Amino acid sequence: MLRFAVRRLAGMTVVLFAISVIVFLIFNVIPNSDPAARIAGKNANPALIARVRADMGLDQSLPVQYLTMMRRIFTGQLTSYSSNQNVAEQIWKGLPATLSLCIGAALLWMAVAVWFGYLSAVRAGRFTDRALTILALVGISLPVFWLAAILLYFLSYKVQLFPTGSYVPLSESPVRWAYHLILPWVTLAVLYVGFYSRVLRSNMLDAMNEDYVRTARAKGLSDRQVRLRHVLRNSMIPIVTLFGLDFGAVVGGGAILTETVFNLNGVGLYAGQAIGKLDLPPLMAVTMFGAFFIVLFNAIVDILYAFLDPRIRLGESAPV
Amino acid sequence: MAAPTTEDAAPTADVEGRSPWHLAWARLRRNRIAIGFGVLFLLIAVFCLAAPLWAEYVAHTGPNQNHITDKITIDGRLTNVVSTDGIPIGPGLRGRYLLGADQNGRDVMVRLMYGGRTSIYIGVLAAVITTVLAVVVGMLAGYYRGWVDAVLSRILDVIWAFPVLLLGIALGTTLALGGLSIGGLQITGNSLWIPILIIGLVYVPYMARPVRGEILALREKEFVEAAVAQGKGPLRIMVSELLPNIISTVIVFCTLNIANNMLLESALSFLGAGVRPPNASWGTMIADGYQTIYTAPHLTIVPGLMIVLTVLSLNVFGDGLRDALDPRATIRLER
Amino acid sequence: MRRLRRIVTILAATAVTGAGVAGCGGTKSITGAGGGAKGGEVNVTMTSFPDYVDPQLSYTVEGWEVLWNVYTPLLTYRHQKGDAGVDVVPGLAKDMPQVSEDGKTYKLTLRPNMKYSDGTPIKASDFTYAIKRLFKANSGGSVFYEGIVGAKDFAEGKSDTITGITTDDNTGDITIALERPNGTFNNILGLMFAAPVPPTTPLDKESTNNPPPASGPFVITRVDAPNTLTMERNPQFNTVKDAGATEVADAQVDKILVSQNKNNSAQVTGVQQNTIDFMSDPPDADRLPEVKAKFSDRFRMEDSINTYYFWMNTQKAPFNDLKVRQAINYAIDPEALNRVFGGRLHPTQQILPPGMPGYDEYKLYPGPDMEKAKQLLAEANPADKDITVWTDDEPDRKRIGEYYHDLLNQLGFNAELKVIAGDVYFTTIGNTSTPDLDTGFTDWFQDFPHPDDFFRPLLNGENILPTNNSNFSQVKIPANDATMDKLVEQQLTDDVRKQYAELDKSYMEQAVWAPYGNEQFTTFLSDRMNFDKSYRHLLFSQDYTSFALK
Repeated sequence: MLRFAVRRLAGMTVVLFAISVIVFLIFNVIPNSDPAARIAGKNANPALIARVRADMGLDQSLPVQYLTMMRRIFTGQLTSYSSNQNVAEQIWKGLPATLSLCIGAALLWMAVAVWFGYLSAVRAGRFTDRALTILALVGISLPVFWLAAILLYFLSYKVQLFPTGSYVPLSESPVRWAYHLILPWVTLAVLYVGFYSRVLRSNMLDAMNEDYVRTARAKGLSDRQVRLRHVLRNSMIPIVTLFGLDFGAVVGGGAILTETVFNLNGVGLYAGQAIGKLDLPPLMAVTMFGAFFIVLFNAIVDILYAFLDPRIRLGESAPV
Repeated sequence: MAAPTTEDAAPTADVEGRSPWHLAWARLRRNRIAIGFGVLFLLIAVFCLAAPLWAEYVAHTGPNQNHITDKITIDGRLTNVVSTDGIPIGPGLRGRYLLGADQNGRDVMVRLMYGGRTSIYIGVLAAVITTVLAVVVGMLAGYYRGWVDAVLSRILDVIWAFPVLLLGIALGTTLALGGLSIGGLQITGNSLWIPILIIGLVYVPYMARPVRGEILALREKEFVEAAVAQGKGPLRIMVSELLPNIISTVIVFCTLNIANNMLLESALSFLGAGVRPPNASWGTMIADGYQTIYTAPHLTIVPGLMIVLTVLSLNVFGDGLRDALDPRATIRLER
Repeated sequence: MRRLRRIVTILAATAVTGAGVAGCGGTKSITGAGGGAKGGEVNVTMTSFPDYVDPQLSYTVEGWEVLWNVYTPLLTYRHQKGDAGVDVVPGLAKDMPQVSEDGKTYKLTLRPNMKYSDGTPIKASDFTYAIKRLFKANSGGSVFYEGIVGAKDFAEGKSDTITGITTDDNTGDITIALERPNGTFNNILGLMFAAPVPPTTPLDKESTNNPPPASGPFVITRVDAPNTLTMERNPQFNTVKDAGATEVADAQVDKILVSQNKNNSAQVTGVQQNTIDFMSDPPDADRLPEVKAKFSDRFRMEDSINTYYFWMNTQKAPFNDLKVRQAINYAIDPEALNRVFGGRLHPTQQILPPGMPGYDEYKLYPGPDMEKAKQLLAEANPADKDITVWTDDEPDRKRIGEYYHDLLNQLGFNAELKVIAGDVYFTTIGNTSTPDLDTGFTDWFQDFPHPDDFFRPLLNGENILPTNNSNFSQVKIPANDATMDKLVEQQLTDDVRKQYAELDKSYMEQAVWAPYGNEQFTTFLSDRMNFDKSYRHLLFSQDYTSFALK
């Protein structure tokens, strides 16, 4: 077990390393993204640009630059190319907005998805099921940024029901915090509700045909008790694991479109602005941050599975 | 494999075996909703493919032709296509500018159709790339296991863990500037192949993992053992024994993948990293429409609706396919 | 300079209320005679936050707008609108400089007994310190001051001091020696690059998060880059006024809160609903007609000194052929481009914009005339018809690029459009090793009101730099270069102005550019603001000392 966990974590480190190298290479291969020339300004002559480059350490070889950057990320000393701001600080400042958005949306989508999925499974084949299925499928067919625009246009402009976005810190006013986040929560949740409700439905339907359910019914438990105590609980396991992966992805930058459209000063928006400026340090930091979350949740899920299912950690057909 | 269905004619003396494909097709046909949406997708595709015809005979203009200072006759009066204040005309029942004009004086309907062509084209081609890569990687990883699996799985992990949009934008921006040259093959910066390759790459783990999982399971089955005993080489086993068994999974995933690709393409184009101007795609049209969402909301709403309808039809049809190809589906529906 | 609006390519959605702006309860204090209430708080929004909150480093329109009334240089520009604002007048210095016969020595005297906002005295040596900062902090503005004797050596680290500047803190005397006479030097002394700052300011780093103390009517009390900054009345500004600096205007409000808001539409709505007092940027094209129609009592169009043009690479086919370039000049339709800008672009065919000394209107290529253009192209018959058109990704520039791309295709070329992210656009086309630099979009906003600021960086053959080039057309006409060098050494008399006008015409006879417009800007204020008092300066954009509540 321990060996498995260690191997998994080692794999995680390799993946993170590979990602950091890829990001670094991509941005150093872009022609004309030389930050020295940009920072030196419009009228700069070659002498000025050379001075800027030396000051920023950009005249070193690529491996040296890479190591310096990684070292700075881990010691929290990374500053962006286009302004003197400390990247770690900016990410820290952006976390409340991103976490508020993601956690709120996650709670919403899980609650609604479980409810819809349960209903759908229980009334499988009938009208409720078909309607909810179509609804779910519509949900996963909407482009996030378009949905946000439509919601804003109709509910914020035509009918001034909601504010346009922008983040109000929880400490400032919980009511306004929530009020400003309602539309973003709904936008982010819609996509996942559709997906999760269908996964739950399909898992529940599979579970309902298992032997242990038949046994439970034979024992005399009511339909409802069977559904809730056995079927739902067992169907939730894959849901929880999927949730772990998706939540990791959303916190790690998957919310970039929602944050941008609603002007929430989160980590995703910060990354988006950095891309526009081809500013490597924040981009590297946010990508690593995001990848770390995704890989972490991935590894936790795998380890948990191995822990729960002896076949996996013992057998030769064990996933690596 | 004989299934007592009502589709048989009068009972005969021989019991006819029906292949699983026949059964699946029969099940699919019964699912009217799925068939309906499948037809809808085909209609949308035909509509978009007819773009050159509309452009030539109805609108008399191409998708990228600017008509900023032109005038057309509406209700007998000569009107500026784009007013002196920069406001384009709105939709109306006429051949030219049916959906109005955009700020460059281009015909929105024509752009919508050409844009659809581009978006669907990218979605389908990227799905082909993803499918091929995913099947190859999944098969190799599942069949050989061991260190081959370890390496391939790690590569999939890297792609999986990479924040998709950031990767897409980074690559899109880089490659748009200089284009790509692999060996002797040159791709210019504006080519559609760049978003196609990026989108094709991003979703490989999504499909490769389930394929790998199925191969891992199938590998233990007796018929594979038998094939090995017969002396068949790995390649033949993969192609003739394993592949047919995963085909149905692959087909379903491929259909759903087209839908996801179209969504990703619209997101990338919206962010400026997908289809490059002045070419139209539904994503770039939404981005352009955003500029005037107050005064001309239809420029944002219409392309978005097209995306939703197309993706929805693919999703519903793919769902129906999945139910049809999965023999347990009927049991599920019957409680 | 170029108008580097660092707008993210991702667009924000619509809004109704102004996003993220703190409430603006203004306090109106009662005044005696002297017209207008003095005091109160004002909030201002802009789409792009100032690049640096640092007088030596800031080089964008937004930065200059904010900093002009915070840091006063030795000389300054008159606080008036229109042509009157183009005159250089004494700021922290007692008088205009005494220039020696050979034009190479400038003598000024600092006014006595002035203090920065934190109470420390303003000294003559602070001017030298500011110039040193330009070089050590690698400011883009340092190039203007390289003509000072010893500056280059200092920049390269060969010397600890700039030998060409001598100061005496007791008498306030400042003497500057130039390597060559320079008729633009007074203008350059009037820029914030040369504003004195105390030696406690970091020498080689930007000071955005902790700006140096102020010498103008406002002091920056708080910076939260890139979101907001707060400006308040400078309590020590009376020391500057009392020392005789009559041309430096005083503040009429107590506090200004400057916020960044990426959503132009939200800003428009905010000003309309009086939750925002002033928006720096003009309303977007689709809101402009509504603002013009319904809010004319607090909205006006303003002139600005800039030229928008298409550059054409004169060193490469097909644009190395004069006829091809002239054809383009005949073909482009400034009215179409004006509509892309929402009606804010005045057509032009000159290099220099109206308002710039040396401007003279003439029309060498009456048009748009597609027939004439096609005829010229037929005569020229270029072999190479594959061209790449460049533009940046800001929405209106992208549309301009698409128009130009379509036009070139209609003329028979095989054009490819390349849209580059705004932040790297100019460094991309300014790198002469970038392949396929044929033609594309650019603009130029004056750095100071002297024609040399247009001709030298944009058209001088010596200035085709390998990186950070601004002479995108790669123009090299030695006779014109010589004229430029001769004219810059002279002071700007009427005769010199005429000669600049002829230089302009001579370049356009060679059709080195395809200019098409001068962009107008806007003043749009909330109800509580005094609309008549507020104006837009030709160099520093909106003058914050002209903000006053009704």
